[in-house]
Amino acid sequence: MSYFIFRNQTIEPFFGNKDVAYSGYGDISIIPDVDNFIWFYQLPLSNFDKHLSEEISTYFDKLQIVLQQIPKNAQLVIFTLETLFHVQFVGYDFSIYSAINDFNSKVFDLASKDSRVKVVDFSEFTRHYTADELVNWRFYFISQTVLNPKLAKDFKAWWTHKQDELAYNRKKCLVLDLDNTLWGGILGEDGISGIKIGGDYPGNAFSCWQQSLLSLSRYGVILTVCSKNNEADVLEAWENNPFMVLRKQHFSSWRINWNDKVTNIKELAEELNIGLDSMVFVDDNPSERELIRQALPMVEVPEFSGKPYDLMPTFKDLVDKYFRIYTVTEDDKKKADQYRAYTQRRASQATFANMDEYIKSLEICVNIMPVNDFNRSRIAQLTQKTNQFNLTTRRYAEVDIHRMEKQGWFIFCANVSDRFGDDGITCTIFLKPESEYCISIYNLILSCRVLGKGIETVFLNTTLNWLRDNNIKHVKAEYIMTAKNSQVADFYDRAGFTFIKSENNGEKRLYEFNLDNELENKNYYNVNFNK
Amino acid sequence: MKKLINIMREVLEDETIDTSCSQDSSENWDSLHHLNLMLELEEEFNIEFEPEEIAEMKSFEKVKEVVERKVH
Repeated sequence: MSYFIFRNQTIEPFFGNKDVAYSGYGDISIIPDVDNFIWFYQLPLSNFDKHLSEEISTYFDKLQIVLQQIPKNAQLVIFTLETLFHVQFVGYDFSIYSAINDFNSKVFDLASKDSRVKVVDFSEFTRHYTADELVNWRFYFISQTVLNPKLAKDFKAWWTHKQDELAYNRKKCLVLDLDNTLWGGILGEDGISGIKIGGDYPGNAFSCWQQSLLSLSRYGVILTVCSKNNEADVLEAWENNPFMVLRKQHFSSWRINWNDKVTNIKELAEELNIGLDSMVFVDDNPSERELIRQALPMVEVPEFSGKPYDLMPTFKDLVDKYFRIYTVTEDDKKKADQYRAYTQRRASQATFANMDEYIKSLEICVNIMPVNDFNRSRIAQLTQKTNQFNLTTRRYAEVDIHRMEKQGWFIFCANVSDRFGDDGITCTIFLKPESEYCISIYNLILSCRVLGKGIETVFLNTTLNWLRDNNIKHVKAEYIMTAKNSQVADFYDRAGFTFIKSENNGEKRLYEFNLDNELENKNYYNVNFNK
Repeated sequence: MKKLINIMREVLEDETIDTSCSQDSSENWDSLHHLNLMLELEEEFNIEFEPEEIAEMKSFEKVKEVVERKVH
């Protein structure tokens, strides 16, 4: 199964590189042709000012744009937002927390109306860790991993399990034992009034458990009984024990006899006309559990501790694993269609009608400057670390860059910022003079932090205009294919360059461009060129 | 040393890793694999690297040097 993940930070250590592709940081401009999408955004760790809650509110706007574009039969798994680290300046200012809650409740709402959406409550994972464990600042500053990469193994185990849950068809039926399972003690020995239900411990634990099972049955789960007992005794207990919560009318069917449970369960499945694979068997007796596991492997048989105080965690596990509703039913489909129409209307009136407006609202600043002693190491790092938006993947050390400068190359980089923060130096271009009038672009790189905002075009156009001002007439460029840079395979085509030829079976594509006219940038980018 | 090579081969998913290898000579050794390698070494040897050390551990020789310094 291959996934595409929308993200706003480094999460590769958690989801790995097999069958997974990633968006740029905060980028929603590319939506590949797959059926499984994941939305994993978390708060930036180093921004605590009032813009943060505004930034959080854009997440949902972006999410809606994505939802409009993914196929009808696709699946989008959305992770909830959690507070990993936050510094609160004002004691009564909870705007960040309400922005988070707002996002999460909108997402839950989406899941109830759009059958493509499933929500994963990320706090199920994060609440097992302390604040110090969740964030590792050493790795954050080295690799921008907001979530501590030391938790990657735990996360993978949890996520694998979670995926199973999401993929599971919801089970339909619970098959319950009676003695020491639905109540404490043995009915045949302790009698109707001797069994433990209601009152003090352990009876209160069994009451609580029965009450919970009753609630579960209201969500459509079928309750049945399979017990070695005298049927008459049980019917009497259901009728006459005043503390009993689950009674005769709550069970769709039962097999209370001395036959083996394999035969009984098969009969129950036939009678209710459901598959064995939609049944979950709960019994306190380990040998009965083992028997069913061996004989009917399609029936789910969870562990059962036998300690009455463990009944509630057992109940939660049952719901989490087998009975949670993730997918809306046929009846809800119509609602989902109405909702889709509604979101489309909303989006056309909302803050961002389209990508253009969205980008405009970011107030992007691009500061372009030549290589110097302060940015040389960052430029080298960009060539070494960037894989996706890297036209030739030529990697350089600082000394290489020094040498190129001496040989008369022009090397520029750009610092990119917007109203949500500063992304630092995230673009670079290497220009090698070929003759008085001709220059070739040896490489062009954009960090994935700034993808999807049209910055590459602004950066290239501005640089080309500068060349034109300096009497350059003619530009050559090339694209060299690697395993990771296919998203820029047609970058020069899109930028208006003329394709000349390809070499090495298409792995290398050569382009040319004539600097006849000044190139224009969209007016909402604030571009500075510091020659 | 054998242990170090085995860890690196496994984490970097590259059987060609030997004592003379470096980030340039290993196709797989990108920034993600590098991070995974650092995490695995920290756990395996129960040590912690400084960011400066992580930046310089880009060859077998360097990895070995830093790990040995930390372990002893």
